[in-house]
Amino acid sequence: MEDFVIRTENLTKVYGHLFWKKKEASLEKLNLQIPRGSVFGFLGPNGAGKTTTIRLLMDLIKPSEGQAWVLGQPADNVKVKQRIGYLPDGPSFSTYLKAYEFLNICAKLLKIPSSERKKRIYEVLDIVKMTEHANSKLGGFSRGMIQRIGIAQSILNKPELLILDEPLVGLDPHGRQELKDIINEQKKAGTNVFFCSHILSDVEKICDHVGILSRGKMLCCGALTDLLSETGYRLVIKAGHDDIMQKFMPEASSSSKLSDGGWELVFKENVEVKKSIDELKREKPDAITYHPSKENLEDFFFRQIASTDKRI
Amino acid sequence: MNEIMAIAGSTWRRILRMKVVYFLIVCVWILIGSAMNYDILSLGEEKELMIDVSLLLNTIAIALIVISVTFEIPRELHEGAAATMLTKPLGRTQYLVGKFLGSVITAIIIGLIIAAGFFVLFYMVFGEPLIISLLQAHLLIIASSIPMTAIAVLFSMILPEMITPIITAIALWFSFSTSHLAKYGFMKIIYGGVLPDLDLFNFKSAAMITAGWSYVAMAAVWGAIFSVFALTLSSLIFRFKDIK
Repeated sequence: MEDFVIRTENLTKVYGHLFWKKKEASLEKLNLQIPRGSVFGFLGPNGAGKTTTIRLLMDLIKPSEGQAWVLGQPADNVKVKQRIGYLPDGPSFSTYLKAYEFLNICAKLLKIPSSERKKRIYEVLDIVKMTEHANSKLGGFSRGMIQRIGIAQSILNKPELLILDEPLVGLDPHGRQELKDIINEQKKAGTNVFFCSHILSDVEKICDHVGILSRGKMLCCGALTDLLSETGYRLVIKAGHDDIMQKFMPEASSSSKLSDGGWELVFKENVEVKKSIDELKREKPDAITYHPSKENLEDFFFRQIASTDKRI
Repeated sequence: MNEIMAIAGSTWRRILRMKVVYFLIVCVWILIGSAMNYDILSLGEEKELMIDVSLLLNTIAIALIVISVTFEIPRELHEGAAATMLTKPLGRTQYLVGKFLGSVITAIIIGLIIAAGFFVLFYMVFGEPLIISLLQAHLLIIASSIPMTAIAVLFSMILPEMITPIITAIALWFSFSTSHLAKYGFMKIIYGGVLPDLDLFNFKSAAMITAGWSYVAMAAVWGAIFSVFALTLSSLIFRFKDIK
């Protein structure tokens, strides 16, 4: 079995026609290896080439150079699509069809046996909370409802690999939470997820691997825990130890009172503070807990993008 | 085959959900039926007028259904509905063939409904039962939907979205006028190369060479062969096309 769910070699796309090509490549020599069992967040500013990459992986557009493999098969292999679920950015479906009819066509294309089709369609409609709209025409649906139907069609075949292009766009906060739950459920069920989004806080919560793309080039790629650097300490002081809080407060870069009456103080990397905290931990082990605080994905993302801009 | 029929079914469903289709059928029946009232204008030839009107209107109705393909395919490609289908285990050729079959089946059924309406009206007005040569004439027109749709699919692949319906309509007019255009040699190059010779499906031409069931069958087979050629060309173009 192939170790990577997605693999690309020098994948390049230059848009244009036979006699006229754009000067700049939308995607330039992308080398990507996404391990099995991961939830991969694909990040980048607008026009970075994220959607181009996904379209190349789904064989909707043809590469100008290089090759891509999905689930161990070349991306242009039609049969491999039976094992993939895909949600496009801003999905658009045939508006004259009812939700059930549309999913039924998808189920037929996915070769779901006719005896199981109806049951599975209602299962996915239930997952995306759209059962009551099964017999409504897609043309009358709001953007959020279309997004939900898009998610339903992408998980209809219980895919091995789920490719989601901006899945959180168009959903209200409640819908976003539901989608995050769906992705987590898919992850638990062993589905590999390739997830492209602008909402970095959500990516940080959902994904274990990330890749950042800018101007068609991959800036960095890897496990989130390896990429985000340690930036200091997070000290949690239990309730009733205000003396400790007062001692450390002046050095803290931020502080917040917890609902149980305790405090959380965040320190930047500082040898003296670290030494004091270590001493305190020995003296009053039950009064505090502390752990290294990591850079968040948003800071990391902007640092990466800024470094490319400087290079240019 | 199931994949092709799934796409054909969705195309067929789309056309059937267009209220204008039912309006078209009713209008055609009314126009055919009203031909009997033109006895003064037709100098007593109202029966011939009714036959001609029915054949002409059936041709136009089928051509309109076919031209709707030239809206449907580019729109689906442009709006992303086709992309969703093509990310399922569905080949690009299967998608095109599905669209083609869906439209052809719809055109055939609508053509048959119009023809049936004509025969009922003809019987009611003139008291004459089903005339075989007239049935053959309508079947020839219905069979012409096969190459017409193939040419519409091909043009959807090679022309910009905005002009495809217009160019297709002009091409169909050229294709139905081959016997007249044959007088001008250079025209043969146009319709002899890419466009189908739809004059083969014209009953009046066929009558001159003693039309019979064999002629109807041969014309239908020729239409099917032309369609295979046009769809193969469309498929080759579509294979390398970037889809939004």
